[in-house]
Amino acid sequence: MNEIGGTPLFFLEFGDIVVYFTPFTLTLFLLALVFTVFVLISRPERQIDIAFGADAFYAKVISLPELRFRRFMSIACGLACMGAMVTGDVFDFTLLVSLVGICNVGIVAAVKSRHVQNAAYQYGLVALAGTVPLFSAAAMVAATTGTLSMIELAKDAVAIPLAARALLVLGVMGEGMAPFYAAKAEMFRAPGAPYVIMCSLSSLLIFLRVAEVILLL
Amino acid sequence: MMWTAALWNEYSVGLVIAFTCALTGFAALTIERDDLHKLLLIDLVETASLAVVALIGTDLAEALILPGLVVGIAELLALSQIYLTKEELQHYKVKRLNIEVMMISPAPIIISTILVMYGIILSGFTGGGVAGLGIVFYFMSRSFTGNFHVLEIASGISWALWVASFFVFMFLPEWWYLALMGAAVGILLKVITKMSLVGAMWGEPE
Repeated sequence: MNEIGGTPLFFLEFGDIVVYFTPFTLTLFLLALVFTVFVLISRPERQIDIAFGADAFYAKVISLPELRFRRFMSIACGLACMGAMVTGDVFDFTLLVSLVGICNVGIVAAVKSRHVQNAAYQYGLVALAGTVPLFSAAAMVAATTGTLSMIELAKDAVAIPLAARALLVLGVMGEGMAPFYAAKAEMFRAPGAPYVIMCSLSSLLIFLRVAEVILLL
Repeated sequence: MMWTAALWNEYSVGLVIAFTCALTGFAALTIERDDLHKLLLIDLVETASLAVVALIGTDLAEALILPGLVVGIAELLALSQIYLTKEELQHYKVKRLNIEVMMISPAPIIISTILVMYGIILSGFTGGGVAGLGIVFYFMSRSFTGNFHVLEIASGISWALWVASFFVFMFLPEWWYLALMGAAVGILLKVITKMSLVGAMWGEPE
C-alpha cells in the first residue's frame, strides 16, 4: 500500500473493519486524546461583563446541567475525532466525520444565547448539507471499486473516480465549518470556553486526515 | 464486458437522477429565507444522499443506509431542538390524539395486535419498526399514564444484547448463529420499546 502517513505500526482488526495506526494517524489520534483529557478535567470559564457607569461587574454563573452538557459534547467530539483519525474504512470515516459535525453543533448550541443559537442553527444546516456529498462519496467508492477498505483502495490497481474524491473533500469542508460559526457567534471570548476549542481542533484534525485519505486513495 | 458496461450505464443514470434531485433541493435552499423551511429542504436533500447509497444495489447498501439514516435523523433532531430553543417555542406541548370513537372502540387493539404479530414474524429492524408502530398506534388512541421505567429498562437491555451480539460476530465468529439470533431479537425489542416510548410521550398530557 501507499505509505503517505508512514509505515503502518500496527493493525487492529474488527471483523472486516480494520483500524490501523501510522506515525501520521497516531500523532493525530494522540492529539485528539490529549485534548479530550484536557476537556475532561477543565472547568468552564465564566463570562465577566463590566457594569456600565459603575465600579462593578457581572459574572455569569454556568449551571451544573449546562456544564455537563458542554463537557459531554466535547468529550463525544473528541472520541468521534479519535475514531476518524485511525479508521481504515471509508464509510466509517464519513460516519465519524458526521458525528464530529453533530457534536460541534452541540458544543456551539450549548450556550443559551440567542445569537449563539442562531449561529449553531446555521452551522447545523451546513453540517447536515455536508452529509450529502460525504455519504455519496463513500457510496460511489463502494459502487465503483467493490470495497470500502482503505488498505485495499490504496493498491495501485484500484481506480477511484475523481468525483468521489471531490465529494469527500466537499463533505469534510461542510462538517468542519464549526470554527467559522463559533467565530461568528463570538464564542471564543467567554461563552462556551474552553470547550469550544474542540470545534477548532476537531475541524483541523478531520481536514488533515481527509488530506491523507485523498492522497492514499 | 457488455454486462459491466450496461451496469455502469444504469448506475450512472441513477447517479445523475439522484444528484439532480439533490441539486434541485440546494437550489431551493438558496431562495428560501425561512429557517424552518430550510430545515425541511435540507432533510429532502438528505434523502437524495440515501438514494445514492441505495444505488450500490447490494446487501452493503442496506448496511450503509441505516447508519447514514441514523446520523441524518440525529442531526435533524438536534437542529429541531435548537430551532425550538432559539424561537422560544418549547412551551407549546403536543396534545394527544384525542379521537373519541377510537377511545372506546376495540379496533386499535385489533390493529395493534396484528401489527405486533406481523412485526415479530418479520423480526430484525423492520419487524421492530412494524411492531413498534402497532404499540405507538395503541398508545396514541388510548390515554395511557403508566410507568415507563420498565420500557426504558427493556430498551436498554435489548440494546446491550444487540451490541453484545456484534462482539460475538467480531471475536467468536464460530458462534455466528447465536449472535444472529441475539442481534435480531435485540434490535426487534429495542425498536419496539423505543417507538412505544415515543408513542407514549407523544400522548403525555400537559
